[in-house]
Amino acid sequence: MKNVGSPVKICISSGKGGVGKTNITVNLAYALAGKGKRVLVIDGDLGLANVDVVLGLSVHTTLRDIMEGNGNLMDAVIYVEPNLGILPASSGVPDMVSLGAEDQAQMAEILDSIAISGHFDYLLMDTAAGIGSSVLWFNKFADHNVVVITPDPTSMTDAYALIKVLSRDYDRTEFFLLMNLVSNSQEGQQVFDTMARVAKQFLSISLQSLGMMPQDKSVVKAVREQTPFIKTEPYGRAAQAIEAMASRVLALPTAASQHRSASS
Amino acid sequence: MDRSLDSPKTCPIGVDSCPIAAELKRLQEECRILTQQSQTDPLTGLFNFRYLMMALEREMERTRRTGLPTGLLMIDLDHFKKVNDVYGHQAGNEALKWASSIWRENLRRIDIACRYGGEEFSLILPSVRLSQAITAAERLRAVLENSPLVFDGRTIALTASFGVDVHRSRDKLSADDLIKRVDEFLREAKAGGRNRVCYEKVKAARAPSEITGDERAALFIGRWPKNSQG
Repeated sequence: MKNVGSPVKICISSGKGGVGKTNITVNLAYALAGKGKRVLVIDGDLGLANVDVVLGLSVHTTLRDIMEGNGNLMDAVIYVEPNLGILPASSGVPDMVSLGAEDQAQMAEILDSIAISGHFDYLLMDTAAGIGSSVLWFNKFADHNVVVITPDPTSMTDAYALIKVLSRDYDRTEFFLLMNLVSNSQEGQQVFDTMARVAKQFLSISLQSLGMMPQDKSVVKAVREQTPFIKTEPYGRAAQAIEAMASRVLALPTAASQHRSASS
Repeated sequence: MDRSLDSPKTCPIGVDSCPIAAELKRLQEECRILTQQSQTDPLTGLFNFRYLMMALEREMERTRRTGLPTGLLMIDLDHFKKVNDVYGHQAGNEALKWASSIWRENLRRIDIACRYGGEEFSLILPSVRLSQAITAAERLRAVLENSPLVFDGRTIALTASFGVDVHRSRDKLSADDLIKRVDEFLREAKAGGRNRVCYEKVKAARAPSEITGDERAALFIGRWPKNSQG
């Protein structure tokens, strides 16, 4: 049974790499934190971690250290805001990309212990690219699955492939698409409509939209400066879009309310 | 279980000819022999059915913990009744022993060879993928076919039929379920003419989750494929 106070677990994946997943995760986390929520970003890219790089953090303890028993979980969390923590992963560790059964059990223990600690309202899990075992595992573990796509055909294909695997083999049926790097809202809508239609037709699942992010120079600049764009340009188009998504995330059912509705 | 490590080897108070220590030693030895006997098929020297079930459950649990699949082979000697009828029961027994010894020579040290009952055998192959289990079964089939039994100056050709499958970490199977599943492949091998290895044929060359051409076409209406007409 889920703890009543347990946080909402949101997994953010993309299939294809380089579509802005980590940047969106981090900014979404800031936006949620800005709305008074206690948020933890978990870098689920266990082999090539990026969250710390996006934020220019100096990392002392990683998820891998904790899994190997070197270090305390709560000490590894870096607080970039009083209510926003980052749990960094390691970079350059090929072993960590595929989670074996034993690793998965351990990862579940770590995340469960975070969940029951009561320190956080939201866990945002930023996964690696691809459809490797760690990506699938984080998606299965989450309450909600967000898939980031761009209008690029390879991104759409890879995102669809990820959704297909998760729906066929991992019983996931609810996905939120986040259209990134769209040139205008028409294009974003078109991408969403296509994905939703194909998913409905072939997988019999309904996709939902978490929103879209326009191409924005301030985003590129912020990444280079290792600062979240929501901080550098809080009134820019990108920041506005993220704020809107954060509001949608806040409206998602929590684990506790899901449990109530499940038992009613 | 070997208890000799945590029991004293000699009398703890240093009396050389202590009857209690001697009795203890005798009981330990008897216990070791009985344990072995309770796990061994006396005719073939392979493990017996009791041990098979215990070992299979253990290996399947290992699969769940490590993710490494466990292979299971179910084997039946072909036309065994005929061997008994034509050459006598002693020849039948020799055939069981002969096949057991040949197979044991062709297995890895970690493989667990058991007599299931009658002329049926079960081999547990820890940490193998299906393709490896099939290769092993094919090897065992061929080696028996090429090694006839010489009994009483007569050469008796022996063959066997094999069913093969693996237990994967995501399978929710009991040991009985797995045996039943592999037994069905064994029956298929029998029905298919014997002296063969049967296993689950891969249903399609593609993984079920692979994106199909139709799905691609739907994602890129009018844009795909560019290398064909229409």
